[in-house]
Amino acid sequence: MADTNLETKWIGDGADLEKIKSDLLTLNMGPQHPATHGVLRVEIQTDSEIVATARPHLGYLHRCMEKHSENLEFRQVIPYVDRMDYLAAMNMEHGYCLTVEKMLDVEIPRRAEYIRVMVAELQRVASHLMFFGVYAIDLGAFSPFLYAFQDREQILRIFEELSGARLLYNYIWIGGVWNDMTDDHLRRIGALVDDIEEKMKKYHALVGENHIFVGRTSNVGIMDKDYCYQYGGTGAVLRGAGVDWDLRKKRPYSIYEEFDFDVPVGEGTKGTLGDAWDRYWVRVREINESIKIIRQCLEGIEEGPIMGKVKKILKLPEGEVYMRTECPRGELGYHLISDGGKTPYRLKVKSSCFTHTSMLPEVAEGQMIADFVATIGSIDIVLGEVDR
Amino acid sequence: MEATPTNHTQYREEKLTFGKWLWNIWKGMSTALKGMGITFKYVYGVKPVTIEYPEVREELPANSRHRLYNDVQNCISCYQCATACPVDCIYIAAERRDKDAPPLKTDGGQAIKLDLHQYTIDTALCCYCGLCTTVCPTECLTHTTDYEFASYTLDQMKYDYMTPELKQWRDRIVK
Repeated sequence: MADTNLETKWIGDGADLEKIKSDLLTLNMGPQHPATHGVLRVEIQTDSEIVATARPHLGYLHRCMEKHSENLEFRQVIPYVDRMDYLAAMNMEHGYCLTVEKMLDVEIPRRAEYIRVMVAELQRVASHLMFFGVYAIDLGAFSPFLYAFQDREQILRIFEELSGARLLYNYIWIGGVWNDMTDDHLRRIGALVDDIEEKMKKYHALVGENHIFVGRTSNVGIMDKDYCYQYGGTGAVLRGAGVDWDLRKKRPYSIYEEFDFDVPVGEGTKGTLGDAWDRYWVRVREINESIKIIRQCLEGIEEGPIMGKVKKILKLPEGEVYMRTECPRGELGYHLISDGGKTPYRLKVKSSCFTHTSMLPEVAEGQMIADFVATIGSIDIVLGEVDR
Repeated sequence: MEATPTNHTQYREEKLTFGKWLWNIWKGMSTALKGMGITFKYVYGVKPVTIEYPEVREELPANSRHRLYNDVQNCISCYQCATACPVDCIYIAAERRDKDAPPLKTDGGQAIKLDLHQYTIDTALCCYCGLCTTVCPTECLTHTTDYEFASYTLDQMKYDYMTPELKQWRDRIVK
């Protein structure tokens, strides 16, 4: 069990190996450990409190979604993609519908595009609020979790009135959206984002500026630019490493090119560039950027239909298409191959959470167990998307 | 296993001086107090957002997607819901009506040409996506706002809407 080669690696140069050396202890974190975000099991080998190796074990939430979708019509796949990232289901649907529409050559009404962008950004805010609360819980603070959930609940309430469900919406359809937003919804969303923007300043002062939180997260779980490039890290992980890369800006899809917003990148404010605090800080600032987009949507939204002209029995032309969108957790890619039938021939999902999970073991080596928890929390993975 | 030496993920800690130690204590206490100032504002004068569930129930939006209900008197057995269902949890059995039988019509005025013998939904399989209700031509299949229907066995989750007990739900749970 004990691997001597590994030990020399993490103990350091000047240490007296014989004195410190002891047997490694194998320990399972998860699948039900509350700090591991769902059902991630990480098998770690520890020497006292230092992690020598970490191996993530996946598959506890595997739903066989890719195989299932080969037997489902294109509209019926939407409830399945909802269940991948259940904390950001709107973004999952948006990506899938854009993929099918890219092949279908259908014109989406302007109002539907505005509603889509608005719900996608609201979902991003909700997802980042969830990250904010759960990350604080990981590091031992309880009240921020309750505050974040209080605000997230209001967003979910609006989604519930729009679609009828709280988490798995099936709201964005191929060609448009299901239900129309009323003026009352628009007014409430406007008031809600003002409220959240005001509160986020307070929450950041409560958590992000707290010296204990900074001590737990700065210089912890460093993933720098080259490391992200090697593994293909995207989203807040890549932006936290100081890379200005956001698909909404660089490869605009939907109507994102019409909006004016910034891409927050990590600056290494509290420690090294690309540490856990940088990723936290990127996400908190992304909430404000999403709110900027929502405000512009509220101003620019037009009257009109919400569904484009799509045939009742949907058949896609032969061919294949790849579409990627910027989700709260990173880039989500759909590779859809169609053989001209009513169902996809193959639907491959490229998930950013899976990539980020694979980045864990190398970072974990030599960390304290408590720091390892902080690292898992900071990459913000959802196991539904990892396993699919 | 040959480990690849990288310094992309490592950080060597700086030495802790006495001045830094004092600075840490000062920062730790001052920022914690600042945070406590924020949380203490929530102690008094804030309206609670939680509800005491069994006594107080939240009013759900009218289009909430919960327990399905089929008003079988208006069903024309068109099978569209069963076709639209992504998990195939709707079971329908129907046969052509006799020519001599008196003509039947739905509330909306559509002629019923098929005799419905079985209309069962396996609620344990249902994923509450709402696709079946959107295709229903007579709008007899609806999602209700009734959400408390846990049961002890899987068999109880199979709802046969032809039975008189389930027909009585109409007065109770349909919007």
